[in-house]
Formats: sequence, structure tokens, C-alpha cells
Amino acid sequence: MRILLAEDDPLLGDGLRAGLRQLGFQVDWVRDGEAAERELRAQAYVAAVLDLGLPRKDGMDVLASVRRAGLMLPVLVLTARDAVPDRIRGLDIGADDYVLKPIDLNELAARLRALVRRAHGQPQDSLTAQDIVLDMAARSVTKAGVPVVLSGREFDLLHALMRSAGRVLSREQLEQQLYSWGQEVESNAIEVHVHHLRRKLGSALIQTVRGVGYMVARELPKP
Amino acid sequence: MPRPRSLQGRLLALILALVGSVWITTAILTWRDVSHELDELLDSHLAQAAALLVAQQAGEIEDDDHGINAPSLHRYAPKVAFQVFHEDRLALRSSNAPAEPMLALGNGAEQGFRTIAIGGAMWRVFAAHGRERDTRVFVGEQVDSRNSILWAVLRSVLTPMLFALPLLVLASWWAVRQGVSPIRALGRTLAQRQPQALEPIALRAAPTEMTPLLEALNGLFQRIAELMASERRFTADAAHELRTPIAAIRAQAQVALACADDAERKHALSSTLQGCDRATRLVEQLLTLSRLEAGSAPAHSSLDLGALVREVVADLAPLALAKSQTIEVEAAERCWVDGEGTLLSVLVRNLIDNAIRYSPPGARVRVSTRNAAGSSELTVEDSGPGMNADDIERLGERFFRVIGSGESGSGLGWSIARRIAAVIEAEVRVSRSASLRGLAVALRFPIGAVRGSDPNRTPK
Repeated sequence: MRILLAEDDPLLGDGLRAGLRQLGFQVDWVRDGEAAERELRAQAYVAAVLDLGLPRKDGMDVLASVRRAGLMLPVLVLTARDAVPDRIRGLDIGADDYVLKPIDLNELAARLRALVRRAHGQPQDSLTAQDIVLDMAARSVTKAGVPVVLSGREFDLLHALMRSAGRVLSREQLEQQLYSWGQEVESNAIEVHVHHLRRKLGSALIQTVRGVGYMVARELPKP
Repeated sequence: MPRPRSLQGRLLALILALVGSVWITTAILTWRDVSHELDELLDSHLAQAAALLVAQQAGEIEDDDHGINAPSLHRYAPKVAFQVFHEDRLALRSSNAPAEPMLALGNGAEQGFRTIAIGGAMWRVFAAHGRERDTRVFVGEQVDSRNSILWAVLRSVLTPMLFALPLLVLASWWAVRQGVSPIRALGRTLAQRQPQALEPIALRAAPTEMTPLLEALNGLFQRIAELMASERRFTADAAHELRTPIAAIRAQAQVALACADDAERKHALSSTLQGCDRATRLVEQLLTLSRLEAGSAPAHSSLDLGALVREVVADLAPLALAKSQTIEVEAAERCWVDGEGTLLSVLVRNLIDNAIRYSPPGARVRVSTRNAAGSSELTVEDSGPGMNADDIERLGERFFRVIGSGESGSGLGWSIARRIAAVIEAEVRVSRSASLRGLAVALRFPIGAVRGSDPNRTPK
């Protein structure tokens, strides 16, 4: 899952990025409010972690303006502003969660997963398509109850496809979901990962729509 | 320690003492006046009675040689007596008068008033004689009777006063009590206040005498309230500002714990240490600020600005060198300033530290001191990006950070610098550097220059 982290403190930003990466997120890190707004508008993130005391543009203003622009992605506000009026205002302006610093990295990751889940209308921290079950917290996948070992990228790709099960995702969209900035994307990377997934999980799981992209169907069509 | 005296008791005692002395003075004056008037009146009656007797004797008593006792006609008569002598023989006397003349007959020249003792009582006697000096008349009156009149008069004056005294005491007590009631009301109000209550006291109908007291009290409450607000703000700010470094330390430590890769773990651990250093620095800054805001006026002494600047720059030079920056000092001779050494060096350190921190690698930082007209000046300039007018305006607001500087900082350095400048009465000017094109911060010490121009003055 690719998220945007907006935090101006270098040490905290660095720590959060490293920690969230360890927990399976792709993290893009911006250090001021204007960059945060620009990236949120330009890229497809599944969620954002937003500090409020940002240079150039306050986090609250960033949040208000991306909400005005119609962006629906879940936003977790991570801030030192602990006053109740601040929290109320943050939630009212459009934050999906309001968390005070300092926070446990695992809790932050869990909250982010919960936000993403809710945004996609799933009640549980797992996704099911056909006989495949994907557990987001454990980052594990089972096929017909049997655990299947996937690499990080393979898991992320499957996650992206299963989160949007029933919809076709283009290669660009998938690349955006899988890679944060500065990560080298080979031209056929997605094809390679799809190939590996098909080998591990069965060729019927991921369907190719030529010239458009890939799709995971919730149910296999009845023969 | 003597018992504190009650204001009410004091007022009451003063009033009663005053009233008492006025009464006593009045009584003494009345006594003197009445006794004088009484003497005049009664003496004139004696004289007139004597004259009547003389005239009567001249006309009526010719040959009757034996003394006649005149009848006593009134119960007060015994207090009055008379004698009439004709040719040295008693012709007429009142029943209570002795047979012997009241005043010794002798030269017969005497005529007038005497006070003598007759039969153990004091008498006031008037002696008169006829034209041929054959008739002598003595009219006497007991002095006691005069005194009793006097006493009667005084009694009639003083008795109502004695009855009035308790009433007066009660009335004065009530009046004084009413008079000091605003003070008691203030006492009650103060006693009933909650310890945290710091709003001004409003007394309805407080007398003008109490206004200064109330104003002083309310002023005190206000100062305490401000102090407490600043204290609360400090606590809130401190807690708030410490959240981010602590969050960073926590995140980095957690990353280090979960790291499989050695290089990554090392990075996370050294970041954890950096976070600790930053939190420490922040705590120090906050404490400095809190001490400054508590407003304890430091002791001033004369300091050599140049020496102080060189010392601070020597401390900070490694920071600048690490960023490949050039730092130079141009210190004028004999640049004395008045101030507290520690505070002043914190101030100078903050300014130079800011210049290094917010200038890009390879920049130039120049610190100069000079004696200007009536003042000493310290200027810190850099060749960094400088600041726009809006940012300069907001400098020194707590926790304001220059946006886009890429440098971490709490924004407290400027608050501290401004506050110290205010405490040591230095003037801070922020502008664009004319020579280096970056930020120029100038400190002006008005008093220091006057001291500095004194060639005989030696530094401590």
C-alpha cells in the first residue's frame, strides 16, 4: 500500500518512513504543506499521514483544500496539537483519524490499515477473492486454506488487485501503488510479478484485459 | 509581638476621649461663668438690701435703743442675716444674726464686701453706713448657699450629659462600625475567595480611601494571573514541543528493533541518539525561556563585546566548518556593553547559531561589533537566502519557523533572543544584509556605548 507521509521533522519523518516500510507500506515522504497538497492531488495514494504543523502550508489547510477538491482518500492526522478543539477541528475538516505524537509504529500501521479497509467497505483486515484469502496485518496469503509464500512486491500487487477486485487496474496504476519515489521500476516489472503470482496461485486468478490492464474477479465464472 | 489594635476600637476610644474632654472643658467654663455671674448678682442684692436698711434707719428709728429682732419670713431666711447699728448700738437685727457686729466696729471707715467666718460658717458680708456715720448696717449671706446654687446649675448641665454618655458610646460604636464596614466586607471577600481565583475584586460602594488599596490588590492579582498564565503556557508549550522529538526517538528506536539489516539498524540507532540530543537542547531552551519569562532581573556588569563574540564564535566555528561555511569576526576595540554575561552570550550564540543553521553550505557569516554614536552595535550577517518582510515580521513569535529552510528547530531560539534583548535593554533590528545579501541581525546597546567611551573604565 502506497501512502503519503507529510512530516517536517527530519528525524521523525525518517523514522516513520523506515518503520512503515518495515510494516509493508510504500512511503512517499514530503516535508512541507504545499508539497503534500501537490502530491495528494497528483498521485493515487491509498492513505496519507499528515502532520499539522507543516511549513509553507498548515496541515489543516492542506486537508481542507484536498477535501474541497473531492479527494476521498483516508487521512490520518499525526500531530503534537493535543487540545480538544484542535482534534475536533481536524476531524471536522476531514481527517479520518486524529492521533497524537508519539505513537507506536505498529499502532500507526494498524490504524492506517483500518482506514484503508473502511474506505473500501471491508469489515475485516483480510480480503477474499475466489479461494484466496489475504491477511493484511500478517501479510500472509492462503489458497484454499494452504499458506502461500509471496515476496513483498507480489503481496503488494495482489493486495492492490484484490482491494479493487472486479475492477480493471492499468499497469501505471499498479506501478503507482507498488513503488514509492526513487524506486527503480523496470518496464516489465508488473508483468513479471503477475507471472509469478499466476504461477503460485493459479493462472485463473488474475485476468489480463489486453491494452487496459489486470483484474482479479471476486468469484470464478460458473462453467 | 503586641496584639494588633482594632481600627474600630481605636476610632471609638478617640471619639469618646474627644467628647469627654469637650464636656469637661464646657463644665469648667460654665462653673467659672456661673460663679462669677452669681457673685455679681447676689453681691448687688446684698448691697441694695444694705442701702435700703440704711435709708430706713435714717427715717424711722430715732430713739428706740434696744435691738429688735426682725421676724424670719421665709425658710431660706436663715441663710441671710442683717444687723443695724445706730450710734454703735444694735438697733435691728435678723433673728439669726449675732448681737455683736459682724465686722468689728472701729475706725468705721470700712464699707464694702468681706468674707468672714461666723459661728463656724463662711459668710459674705456687706457693710454700709449712713451719711453721718451714726448708722451702720451689715448684711450677710452664707457662702454655702451660693455654692449650692452653683452646684445646682452644674448638676442641671451635667446630669443629662451623664445620662447621654452610654447612649453616646453605643451610637459612636454603631457609627464607627458602619464606617469601617467596607474594610470588613473586603476581608470577608478575600477570605471567601478560592485560592485559584485571580479576577479583580469589585466592592460595591467602596469608599475613596480604600480605592488605592483595592487597586494595589487588583494589580497584584493581575500580575499573579499573568505569571500563572505564562507558567501554564510554558508547560503546555513544553509538553507540545517535546511530543515531536519523543515521537522521533520512539519511531527510530522501534525501527532499530525491527531491523534485519545492520546498516539500517545503525542509522536508526544514531537517529535515536540525535533525537535525544535534540530533546535535550529543546528542554534547555525551554528552561532558559521560562527563566527569562519569570522576569528575574539579572545583575548588570560591564562586558567586552568583542571578547564575548570571539568566545562564542570559537565555540560555534566547528558547526560552520562542517557546512563548509566561512565565519569571520570584525570586532572593534573597547566595545563595552552593560549586561549579564551568561544571558548576553546565550543571545549572541543564538544569533550566530541561527545564521550558520539557516545559511546554505559554503555561505559566509560575518560577526562585527562597532562603536556607533551613543551606542555599541553587534551585527550578524550571512550570505544565506535572507527572509521576506512577512517572515521578518513573524520572527520571535513562539515556535515560528522559517518555512522551507529545511532546518529543524523548535523556533524557540528567536523567542529566547528577543526576550534576552528585552531583558538587557538591547534593540534588535532584522534586515537584509547590504554586503552579504543574506539576513542581517543588528543588536544595539544604548547604555554600553556611553560606558565604553569612558577611557578610564576598566572591565571587571
